[in-house]
Amino acid sequence: MSTLTQSSAPASTPIVKPAAQIRSWKIPITFGSFAVLSLFLFVVLGRGLRGELSTFRLSEGRDLIQLPEVALPTFATGVFVAVVLVLMAAASAWLVYRHTKIPIVLTILFALLFLVGFLAWAASGSTIPVPGLLIGTVTLSAPLIFGALGGVLSERAGVVNVAIEGQLLAGAFSSAVVASATGNPYLGLLAAMVAGALVSMVLAAFVLKYLVDQVIVGVVLNVLVIGLTSFLYSQVLAPSANLNSPDVFPRLNVPFLSEIPIIGPVLFRQTIIVYVMYVAIALVYFGLFRTKWGLRVRAVGEHPQAADTVGINVNRTRFIAVTLGGVISGFGGAYFTLGAVGAFNKEMTNGMGFIALAAVIFGQWHPIKATLAALLFGFATNLQNVLGIIGSPVPSEFMLMLPYVVTIFAVAGFVGRSRAPAADGKPYIK
Amino acid sequence: MRRLIAVSALAVSAVLLAGCAQAPTPTATTDATAPDYCARMVTNSGGLDDRSFNQSSWEGLQEAATKYNIDTEAIVSTSETDLAPNVSQAVATGCQFVLTVGFELADATLAEATANPDVHFAIVDEVVDAPNVKPIVFDTAQAAFLAGYLAAGVSKTGIVATFGGGNQPPVTLFMDGFVDGVAMYNDKHKVAVQVLGWNKDTQDGSFTGDFEDVNKGKALAQSFIDLGADIILPVAGQVGQGAAAAAIETPGVSIIWVDNDGYVTLPAQFQSVVLTSVLKNTSAAVVEAIGADLDGNFDNAPFVGTLENGGVEIADFHDQSALVSVELVGEIEQIRSAIIAGIITVTGPSSPQ
Repeated sequence: MSTLTQSSAPASTPIVKPAAQIRSWKIPITFGSFAVLSLFLFVVLGRGLRGELSTFRLSEGRDLIQLPEVALPTFATGVFVAVVLVLMAAASAWLVYRHTKIPIVLTILFALLFLVGFLAWAASGSTIPVPGLLIGTVTLSAPLIFGALGGVLSERAGVVNVAIEGQLLAGAFSSAVVASATGNPYLGLLAAMVAGALVSMVLAAFVLKYLVDQVIVGVVLNVLVIGLTSFLYSQVLAPSANLNSPDVFPRLNVPFLSEIPIIGPVLFRQTIIVYVMYVAIALVYFGLFRTKWGLRVRAVGEHPQAADTVGINVNRTRFIAVTLGGVISGFGGAYFTLGAVGAFNKEMTNGMGFIALAAVIFGQWHPIKATLAALLFGFATNLQNVLGIIGSPVPSEFMLMLPYVVTIFAVAGFVGRSRAPAADGKPYIK
Repeated sequence: MRRLIAVSALAVSAVLLAGCAQAPTPTATTDATAPDYCARMVTNSGGLDDRSFNQSSWEGLQEAATKYNIDTEAIVSTSETDLAPNVSQAVATGCQFVLTVGFELADATLAEATANPDVHFAIVDEVVDAPNVKPIVFDTAQAAFLAGYLAAGVSKTGIVATFGGGNQPPVTLFMDGFVDGVAMYNDKHKVAVQVLGWNKDTQDGSFTGDFEDVNKGKALAQSFIDLGADIILPVAGQVGQGAAAAAIETPGVSIIWVDNDGYVTLPAQFQSVVLTSVLKNTSAAVVEAIGADLDGNFDNAPFVGTLENGGVEIADFHDQSALVSVELVGEIEQIRSAIIAGIITVTGPSSPQ
């Protein structure tokens, strides 16, 4: 009896969330390091750039509304940015000290301001074509975004999808062949989706039916697709060139929207593949978080036993989600051939599927965040291109690391803890 | 057990198919009665259809096969770790002549050449110093010089560009020559045509970092175009196709292809944007080396392809010949003779010695 009263006593005391007492200094530390970096780059190193101008070109020649070029004094801009960044870092430290949550707006502002300062510093004495920089970002990110969306769908259902690379490559190959053979690029898109779906069905079959380790099947599938497409390329496509010359989709201008300064050329003068990408992002988000089907997919990814108990067929739900993921990734593969270049080449995806997989994880298994992660990678890659051309003192080998370094910093500094769906990678055995 | 069978079935099929891709193309000889002379070729990781030196070396070998009625075969490497075993395998076939392609194969070639002094080797694109190795190298800077002069003369924006797949001597040699050619044009015509993407003094510039991802090449070329360039020389294997794709989208932009005539080797839709190509006549050099060996005249003196011996050249202007004025063609002819006569020397840190 006495034990019973003893044990009930603590239960009646109010539960205090211990987590609320822990201050996370991560954001102030990140802000602080970037502020110090900007002080060093823009003020200490920037002293030599006094009198230089950094020009930002905001319009393309063919734009209806021409924005004037913005010329900023390099050193003054650098000093201003560095000072504001230091103040923001201090503000964030104060907020953490006061146990107040740091608003996400502050983080976004901080990142944007740092970017402006960095561009002004790097472009001293030259011109940065801002629309071109962003158009290239979309070009480089599009296949990553498709791959990441496919990965999100599959992993939310609890199946680790390492085979994104293979799905992209299979999509690229079959879209080129079918579009060339039929002369109809839309059939090429269809073929890309079928190819991506086939790859993911193999993955799903081995993983769900035969319970093989998911990572291993994914890796083996990638090697399989690389081998298969390279073999078919050298044996079938190389001798008969008319099987590998699909029509590339033309850029379609959306009326009115394409004339908005900066945003118009970047987002609304694209090929149909990119427009489908916008729809796909919205659909995956809506499907996963606003529909009954999405709730079931997430349920089998988080807690398959519970889902099974309420009558959801776990393996069927997973199979459908993984296949749909393959359809999206395969469609993204068509971007390489029908959207960008108009010919298939051996191993032309060159590891983009693995970057997409990284975007899934950096994006915390969320379609919108994964899209942003992919865009960040594309932006860093193209920034490296542009900075390399306008002349940077940094050796090109280091510049080529920029996208990866930026991604690592962004993830470590700004993104919180990444938590996978609880049952991700675990087979469900009744 | 079921799992084990399943995964091994998948793995086996993967390996089999990957193996298919590596499988050497069957011999090109017409004579099945095993002639007593045979030649083997080992590619680098680019494979036989790289639209570059592996492909042209293989064409040379096939040409030699029909010309001299000898047995030839290619061993395709798919990764860095394949290189040395493949050279050993080529030697183990007992053939008299082994051709290796690419600077990555230099170490493996030297090792096998030292171990097998009776076998004759030739290596494309790299100098290996051994009594039984004939290096086949190309002074591509000479032809790229002409291409640079041409580009500077044709450019309407006054900005031309070049980029590479990686910062390696066979790549940057093109870029050095290109920059020098533009400088020559500027000197002669008192203009200031600018070259983006390569700084000869610092030996650094724009690179895509690989020779596969055409999408990267397209984005980089697009950046050049945004900054005003209207002629681009990509030295990046198939990644150069990305530059061609970017050129198609922007009227008035042309590319200069490398290694072979892009007008012929690229997919048909790109023909209209190929201004010219910097040719590297690997196949003829390979045929010649085998011919000399058959005649018993093998030597280890490097074959250096130049404008003089036809080892390097610039291609016809094809669809774009209207852009090239008669005077410009005349000036290029003069420069060609001056380079052959040694009046103009094109040098750089990567030039073959």
